[in-house]
Amino acid sequence: MSDVEETEIARQVAFRGGGFAPKPYRWIGLAVFVMLISLAELGTQNGFISPLTLPKPSDVFLKFRELYETGLLRKHLEPSLTRLAVGGALGATIGIAVGVLIGLFSYIRAGLVPLVAAIFPIPKIALLPLFVIWFGIDEASKYALIAFGTFTPTVVATYGAVDNVDRNLIRMAQSFGLSWKSIVRKIILPGAMPGILSGLRISLAIAIILLVAAEMLGAEYGIGAYILEAGSLYDLDRLFAGVVMLSLLGVLLSAVIGGIERYVLRWRT
Amino acid sequence: MDIRLSGISHSYDGFEVLRDITLDIPSGKIVCIVGPTGCGKSTLLRLIGGLERPAKGSVLQLGLPAEDCLNPLTYVFQDFALLPWRSVAGNISLVLEDHGMKKSAITEIVNNVLARTKLTEFARALPKQLSGGMKQRVAIARALAVKPAVMLMDEPLSALDSQTRELLMSDLVKLWTQQPFTAVYVTHNLDEAVRMGHSIVVLSRCPGKIREIIHLEKPLAERSYGDGELQFRQKYLWNLMRDEALAADAELVNV
Amino acid sequence: MNRRRAIALIGGAAATAGLAAPALSQNRKITVGALRFTSHSGSFIAFERGYFSDAGLDVELKFFQAAQPMAVAIASGSIDYAVTAVSGGLISLAQKGAVKVIGGALTEEPGIDGQKIIASDVAFKAGVTSPKMLDGKVFGMSTAGSSFHYMGSKIASAEGVSLKFKPLQKVGAIIGALKSGQIDAWSIVPHIAKPLARSGAAHIIGNVSDYLPNYQITTVFTSARNAAEEKAMTRNFLSGFSKGVADYNATMIERTGGEDGVSEMVRLIHKYVYANRPLEKAAPSIINGTMRLNEGAALNVTSIQDQLKWFQSEALVDADITMDTLVDSSYVKTIHA
Repeated sequence: MSDVEETEIARQVAFRGGGFAPKPYRWIGLAVFVMLISLAELGTQNGFISPLTLPKPSDVFLKFRELYETGLLRKHLEPSLTRLAVGGALGATIGIAVGVLIGLFSYIRAGLVPLVAAIFPIPKIALLPLFVIWFGIDEASKYALIAFGTFTPTVVATYGAVDNVDRNLIRMAQSFGLSWKSIVRKIILPGAMPGILSGLRISLAIAIILLVAAEMLGAEYGIGAYILEAGSLYDLDRLFAGVVMLSLLGVLLSAVIGGIERYVLRWRT
Repeated sequence: MDIRLSGISHSYDGFEVLRDITLDIPSGKIVCIVGPTGCGKSTLLRLIGGLERPAKGSVLQLGLPAEDCLNPLTYVFQDFALLPWRSVAGNISLVLEDHGMKKSAITEIVNNVLARTKLTEFARALPKQLSGGMKQRVAIARALAVKPAVMLMDEPLSALDSQTRELLMSDLVKLWTQQPFTAVYVTHNLDEAVRMGHSIVVLSRCPGKIREIIHLEKPLAERSYGDGELQFRQKYLWNLMRDEALAADAELVNV
Repeated sequence: MNRRRAIALIGGAAATAGLAAPALSQNRKITVGALRFTSHSGSFIAFERGYFSDAGLDVELKFFQAAQPMAVAIASGSIDYAVTAVSGGLISLAQKGAVKVIGGALTEEPGIDGQKIIASDVAFKAGVTSPKMLDGKVFGMSTAGSSFHYMGSKIASAEGVSLKFKPLQKVGAIIGALKSGQIDAWSIVPHIAKPLARSGAAHIIGNVSDYLPNYQITTVFTSARNAAEEKAMTRNFLSGFSKGVADYNATMIERTGGEDGVSEMVRLIHKYVYANRPLEKAAPSIINGTMRLNEGAALNVTSIQDQLKWFQSEALVDADITMDTLVDSSYVKTIHA
């Protein structure tokens, strides 16, 4: 050993591993928000940012308080949440059902997959006038728009998830003589659940986007109606208050789905 | 209940994988099937269990399975095939739920097989919490729960490391000794074959034909790791298979 | 050559407009926003007949689909001058120091065919034959704080009835809702109201001018910076624009050029309005849409004051906005009526 040291140069092997492993730093996300908002506040306070460009964050906050105190917040939130709940539930339920059927039956798959592919890229907003004719200008057309918008991504996510259920598990179930119903209920549905839930995450975000579109026609109250009115009045405080409401709604829904995932998919590694 | 294979041939898209297999699987014995890669071992097992139909020939059940048998032909898979969302007990009860049994009856069977496979304390664990060896024990417990007439074991120990394999082999032998069961045991591991088989069927390479059937008289319980006689048998098997294995390995994979 | 001939033709008209001859700032490049409506004809005529170039302005017309983005474009400085209705959005932008109203354009004038109050066929058959019958009915509008909202609200308070307002964003959507009976009533310019009535989808049940005489519907506006700092350029724009307006009123309302004058004017306007229809089909619509534009871009401040008050009373805009914030009345004659 010692004569190796005499004849060769000993060098430490350079480290080249590490990285590519995301670590959770929760507070950084919060810090970014706080920093951006305080920058906006500072800029609008000293006039560096004109009132035409951005509203004062503090004004937006005041608007929020005003909304809350006058009871208008509830008046706007209630119809929107109802529309979101009814439309989203309708679209997601039918979407999951159709997706499972496509996943299970080849004839249905052959018939419906091209149809779903054809309606997926249609901007549902473009169909709004049609929906008004079909379902009337009141709530039904709003439910229909949101339901339609959540339906297609749910279908695609669901049948993809059904396709991805481990075939070995199905073969196992057949080898134990499980009935078709049991295989669907106990193997395919739980096996497809991760895919369905991550599809729902996207579908519900789309539902929130469509909420604004749905409230374009004939809605007096609702977050979307509130935002549109603020936009046409060029009232930036209200506009941002409305946008913040949508963002919060999105964060909330995502958290709810996260919670459901943690509970329903606790078997996942 | 015995199983008789008579003149079975099978092919996929015109590509012949099995040719004229005739074989008896006697009740209470373990029949090992060995052969080079792609000789149709697993296909043969699927044919026996009714997961596929043979192109030619037939698979016969001789006699009736026992009264309390719920699933006469029961598989144990190489990849365990456990539902990740069900606990150990849940995975076992899964295969009992379709038989119109009372809940208490199901629980009784589950507890019984868990005890036999020494899994009682893991009843509530999820598969993700178990090691590979434990998972296969759950799969074996599940198979035992339906009181099969014949166990169809498709490389049951191939996904495990050699120490775990050794442990599980002796577990299987103990289970058989307590209560002899009939099994078709497919493996590519000759050591397993000579430890577990009352008879060993050697298949040739594709299309698989029976080359030779070897009978081992030594009781299972007396076979152990490093046994001289078994090693001699194993060497004989290897000599039989070596050329086939070499040729099979050099072939283009036909999938 | 073309331009010279044009100057010779309209020399008289310019004089009657009563504006000081523009201080020629040679070929200043500006952008004027417009919607493809006949009410924007002042700009089209001034552009086509070279009145803007005479005023030393090199004008580029920029077209918009709606008034709202046009107001925002003025605020952001993308365009310099435009004509639009007073709306909550416009007042808000004025409050933020972005825009100023500097003149008037379209006006409701008693005796001249103006905006109509129309009822859907369904509502009409159910007895809504005059604005008095509108109690509890649904009135269409584009958005809260739009001119439709203002008109409907004023009509309702004059008749002592209460209306439900439905925001539908776009004129097309309102027409659709009216045809299918999803809204009961609406108020709209004559060239949209009359064809609807002819087709049987709606019925004219009144005139807006009966409720809002001298209603200043559209105004000329610019950025606050132009109004305050580019006085010469603004004057030049208004002088060119006013000549266009004078031609329009003379030809289309007073008919000084007779039928030939009208058809020549229609041909000119047709380049911009209903350009996707053949001339013979577009002509009736253009003629039907004729309403007086204020001579010299005079501004009815009384009407503007009333509109501002209404927007404030509805809490659509802040209560502390004053007329001075919204209007710069130094450029044109003001009307108090």
